[in-house]
Amino acid sequence: MEQANPLRPDGESKGGVLAHLERLENQTSRSRKRSEAQAQERVLGTKIQKLRHLRDDPRAALWHRRGSVKACIANVEPNRTVEVNEQEALEEKLENVKAILQAYHFTGLSGKLTSRGVCVCINTAFEGNLLDSYFVDLVIQKPLRIHHHSVPVFIPLEEIAAKYLQTNIQHFLFSLCEYLNAYSGRKYQADRLQSDFAALLTGPLQRNPLCNLLSFTYKLDPGGQSFPFCARLLYKDLTATLPTDVTVTCQGGEALSTSWEEQRASHETLFCTKPLHQVFASFARREKLEMSLVS
Amino acid sequence: MDETVAEFIKRTILKIPLNELTTILKAWDFLSENQLQTVNFRQRKESVVQHLIHLCEEKRASLNDAALLDIIYTQFHQHQKVWDVFQMSKGPGEDVDLFDMKQFKNSFKKILQRALKNVTVSFRETEENAVWIRIAWGTQYTKPNQYKPTYVVYYSQTPYAFKSSSTLRRNTPLLGQALTVASKHHQIVKMDLRSRYLDSLKAIVFKQYNQTFETHNSATPLQERSLGLDINMDSRIIHENIVEKERVQRITQETFGDYPQPQLEFAQYKLETKFKSDLNGSILAEREEPLRCLIKFSSPHLLEALKSLAPAGIADAPLSPLLTCIPNKRKNYFKIRDK
Repeated sequence: MEQANPLRPDGESKGGVLAHLERLENQTSRSRKRSEAQAQERVLGTKIQKLRHLRDDPRAALWHRRGSVKACIANVEPNRTVEVNEQEALEEKLENVKAILQAYHFTGLSGKLTSRGVCVCINTAFEGNLLDSYFVDLVIQKPLRIHHHSVPVFIPLEEIAAKYLQTNIQHFLFSLCEYLNAYSGRKYQADRLQSDFAALLTGPLQRNPLCNLLSFTYKLDPGGQSFPFCARLLYKDLTATLPTDVTVTCQGGEALSTSWEEQRASHETLFCTKPLHQVFASFARREKLEMSLVS
Repeated sequence: MDETVAEFIKRTILKIPLNELTTILKAWDFLSENQLQTVNFRQRKESVVQHLIHLCEEKRASLNDAALLDIIYTQFHQHQKVWDVFQMSKGPGEDVDLFDMKQFKNSFKKILQRALKNVTVSFRETEENAVWIRIAWGTQYTKPNQYKPTYVVYYSQTPYAFKSSSTLRRNTPLLGQALTVASKHHQIVKMDLRSRYLDSLKAIVFKQYNQTFETHNSATPLQERSLGLDINMDSRIIHENIVEKERVQRITQETFGDYPQPQLEFAQYKLETKFKSDLNGSILAEREEPLRCLIKFSSPHLLEALKSLAPAGIADAPLSPLLTCIPNKRKNYFKIRDK
């Protein structure tokens, strides 16, 4: 860069001087900025150090305390094997508690506290068979409400909740248990009929979602000459697993012999008093017995 | 086969995309396996359709068969319709619901046929205890219009039914009456809930949008969620506002849960409120009448969008309860008035 020469002719020298002045100005502003930046850096540096202290001091204190606690424990129990035994004992206790919590399933009603309320689990059973489980997640607020659930849509959960949830939660849970257990029981009977005794049915089993209206035709001797029976089972009590109304009719042949009439009436009574699959089991046994007698 | 029926079947099959054709035809179960095997599905669509119509003619497809095919197409393309939700109620002291599907179908059909001589009613039951009903409307003097049917999905032994929105509003009261009487209810009311996604509506209405429940057998306790701030990051880098980020995450998780949200496309708020302002003597504050305005939030997946607002920093957490109450109140139409 050419040095400013004051001996140059006028126009050039002004340019030279002004340029020089500009350079000097820039230099001073740069150095000022630099010193400002440095000062800021220093200030921030001290701030960072202060914050680090704020963070590290409690941390150090914590480590210190942990160390001293460990030392204390070590002093109190110098024996390592005793520590291990305690650990094992605690683990065993934990397993025990877990097992007890699992066993609660067999009581039919169990629950677990959640962050906003409780999640109730209803395990249904029928005749000693453990069937489906249903959950209801309750939010404990005023008013108490159901957040979500896995109860089938055709169980009148809303009705039961409207009646009891706000006033008597025990009643709500027991009522719901009743409905769900009864539904599970009816469903179990209908499923067993369809799967185990299909041979005795002459047509498909008609059922509805709640399994409270069942309609089917059956024969005592499949492939035989007898007329099939038509049965229609109504379960008007949704908390029961036995039907409230049973109608058995005989297809074909208006004039029924007395023996057929007796059979028909006895079937009606059977369906009213015993679970469906058990009635069919007795039919199947009877059939076997008769076959063995004939042959 | 009637010409109108043939035309109807043809138009329905034309709507079906080629890659779904075999699935839908199998579900229809009208043409036999042998018949279907004779069709070359690799041809141009028009030729395939011609061949299928020919087979349907051979088998003498009726209007009912055609209507059934239409139902199946709609079941596969539920999202093309907008669905409203209706809730029925029984009178006090009503008998227990002994639902008989045959009785329901007969009763439903009879009520509609008695009112309008010309109406086509078809049913298809599904495995989830729901019955799809298709109604093609006519009048006393005109034949039913097969191209503008209404669909109703009724979950038996529940008070809920879902109906496809249609422009023909005048038949809605009759449809409501038929449904109510046939299902042995007393009253029917339209809920303020509407969406294209039938599954989501079902999940909201039956409160089954979350199928995970806390039990003592759950594998792990509620885990600390990582905020996407990886552990791989240099430990000398600390997020200054981590406390706030964690608070927002916690509140979002409490409000929306960890499960996928049901899918809605919009939420609409009708406001009729008086203007509230801190400035005294503004013209609007002096206004006696309430202001009326309509606010609509739209999204391909509204609830997921709302869930992501606070974590993205766009809105404060907690969100307004007017937005977060949508699944719980089972509404996406709101009317807000001054109390």
